[in-house]
Amino acid sequence: MPQTLKEVDVVVIGVGFAGSILAKELAATGLKVVGLERGHTRHSVPDFQAPAIHDELKYSVRKGMMQDVTREAMTFRNQHREVALPMRQWEAFLPGTGLGGCGVHWNGQAWRYQVADFIYKTHIEQRYGKKIVDPDLRIQDWGVTYQELEPYYDRFEYLLGVCGKAGNLNGKIEQGGNPLEAPRSREYPNPPMKEQYAGALFRKAATDLGYHPFLQPSANMTRPYTNPEGLTLNPCVYCGFCERYGCEHFAKASPQTVILPVLMKNPNFELRTESQVLRINLDSSGKKATGVNYMDAQGREFEQPASLVLLTAFALNDVRMLLLSGIGKPYDPVTEKGVVGRNYAYQTQSYVPAFLKEDIHLNSFMAAGASGTVIDDFSADNFDHSALGFIGGCYVLCGSTNARPIEFHPTPPGTPRWGRQWKEAVRRHYNHTAVFNLSGTSTASRWNYLDLDPTYRDAWGLPLLRMTFDFPENDLRMSRYVTNKASEIARRMGATTVVDEPRTGPFTTTTYQSTHNTGGAIIGSDPATSVVNRYCQTWDVPNVFVVGACNYPQNSSYNPTGTLGALIYWTADALKSRYLKNPGPLV
Amino acid sequence: MTRNHILRNTALALPFAGALLVSFSTAQSAATDSTQLGAQIVAQGTANGAIACARCHGFDGQADGSGAFPKLAGQFPQYLAKQLRAYASGTRQNALMEPIAKGLKDAEIDSVAQYYASLHPSTLPSRPVAAQLVARGEQLAKLGDLNLRVQACESCHGPNGQGEPPAVPYLAGQYSHYINFQIQMFRQGIRKSQQMQDPAHSLREPDIVAVAAYFERASRNGAK
Repeated sequence: MPQTLKEVDVVVIGVGFAGSILAKELAATGLKVVGLERGHTRHSVPDFQAPAIHDELKYSVRKGMMQDVTREAMTFRNQHREVALPMRQWEAFLPGTGLGGCGVHWNGQAWRYQVADFIYKTHIEQRYGKKIVDPDLRIQDWGVTYQELEPYYDRFEYLLGVCGKAGNLNGKIEQGGNPLEAPRSREYPNPPMKEQYAGALFRKAATDLGYHPFLQPSANMTRPYTNPEGLTLNPCVYCGFCERYGCEHFAKASPQTVILPVLMKNPNFELRTESQVLRINLDSSGKKATGVNYMDAQGREFEQPASLVLLTAFALNDVRMLLLSGIGKPYDPVTEKGVVGRNYAYQTQSYVPAFLKEDIHLNSFMAAGASGTVIDDFSADNFDHSALGFIGGCYVLCGSTNARPIEFHPTPPGTPRWGRQWKEAVRRHYNHTAVFNLSGTSTASRWNYLDLDPTYRDAWGLPLLRMTFDFPENDLRMSRYVTNKASEIARRMGATTVVDEPRTGPFTTTTYQSTHNTGGAIIGSDPATSVVNRYCQTWDVPNVFVVGACNYPQNSSYNPTGTLGALIYWTADALKSRYLKNPGPLV
Repeated sequence: MTRNHILRNTALALPFAGALLVSFSTAQSAATDSTQLGAQIVAQGTANGAIACARCHGFDGQADGSGAFPKLAGQFPQYLAKQLRAYASGTRQNALMEPIAKGLKDAEIDSVAQYYASLHPSTLPSRPVAAQLVARGEQLAKLGDLNLRVQACESCHGPNGQGEPPAVPYLAGQYSHYINFQIQMFRQGIRKSQQMQDPAHSLREPDIVAVAAYFERASRNGAK
């Protein structure tokens, strides 16, 4: 029998960026908030300090900061008719766990989406007509616009201290920034990062070809910065251990550095780590949540009653929790009825390694997680697709996020995979190879979705999440087109060998691509095609809000965290200014 | 592998090895010349008004235990040269060092830096202090302090404060008085460093004393 605890006002499931910011905002209004985090407590000191944190084997190879697959795995298949099998180790994407969530081990690439991304269906159909969209694709508008989210993007960027140069200030194009970005209301809080040598070479080649290179927005500090919560961050030292690692310098914006110390000081907030939420409980009507059940590290089950439940775990786990709790109707791709699990999308990544002459020393190990030089000319719908036969695009980024010894050894095609020739090739190319990273849109499709696995269960006896995904043909055509364009830039840089590697199907879980898993609990204005309304409130159970990349109806070219930050503050505002005064459906 | 095989490979390898030796020894003798010039400046000063470095820092780069002047022996040449240029340009302020640095030509700065870098620092006996103080310093150096939001000093200054060449100086064996004074300079914004600004502000006075005491007693790996 679970032990029933004293009722609180709010339960937050998952204490990452979304959980800690929402908890902070609500606890500040006087509400009693409990944060349930399945992973461990961890802080910049002592958990992220060097030299222990720079353990590539532990954190990169053995995925030290990720969800424990021996307790909670996921199953995967490419096609609806196949039998899904469990992933026994993380490779393609890396769901984080522990206090701070993915906000601890991210690269700090803090982008905004484009104006058109939020009205994608309307925009694409207006610009190109309906025929450009393949029949199986399911693009949608968000139900909330860029203009509405802009103040919340701004707030999140100032919380993080994002470093960059504005390219579009209130519609006015600024020198030195990204002229193709959506208009922003004020300058970035901090100047951009230092440009890497590879990025400088790329900048020249891209400019020669008529593109518009700029330094990407970064949440790794370029100077000491005190955020509006009064927390001070230190400048980054470009050590090249951002993604998959915690930052020892208080230099990368993470919940630990930008918000948690303030939240933890508020006596209205209580953090409970190693607390595995089993389900959100509903009353007999199924329209109201009464709290959650969770299990602690000793295997004791508790019922925590609450009047408001915020689901803020990793995107994929949010979807699973809705399915486990019976909130919203599960999606069925055959009938296209149901919504939970619908429009699961990803990121269509590709790479262009440019092998340069031996007298060009790139020193790519002097890097931060977001110190690349980028062109936005082929992102999203920033270019005319009329004659191209696909929708979507990629940003093209040159620059390293690291050049760590175990993971980074570029060799040209035809190099043996081991032995003396391999070693010789690594020696020759290690410091002379610039790798372009193309981050591409992922278009939602009828057959890509998430549901519960009928066979496999986790350590608590609950069904695993099942992912059914393959790249839509549209996205592969898109990747081919933009990757070819990127190769032209690489050749212009004087590369002796350029490897043109567009994304090809089928999707495989065995090589890392991106942890930008989106959709499954999507936002929208129609309950028949979305799980949450424009305030991230579930249509079916108004006292359950879900905030995560699972809200995205399809994925744009950009890394999702910046947009997630905007949604977090947008939702916080709706909760504080409207929901708390009059709990009930906001739409 | 046969004897002939080995001989054949050796024969092939020899001309290359020869070429390497020649170029290596050329480079080495240039460095030696520069270091010798550095030694001369350290002992005698220059005609342009730079007084002999040895007067304060010692010919052996050990200065003295008072810590009024830093130990320079074995400090990284790039770091030393950067500091001299900063004194010369006034970006690092010091009434004593500024005219001296201005009296050194560019090549002389590199020579002096190379000379001091080539010396092995030795550890002089320290004054006894409370074990607790050193322990607190070690904690800050190796782990940092969450409440103060200070990272471990050794994240940049290397294990035991052995430094991270070329940019980050060693602290192991440096005089505590000097370390303490420099942190105060960073704290007051007189000495400027983006990396040091915040930690120097966040440390409390007793922490600064503690961390300085720890590093004076830390043993630099490879130090003879």
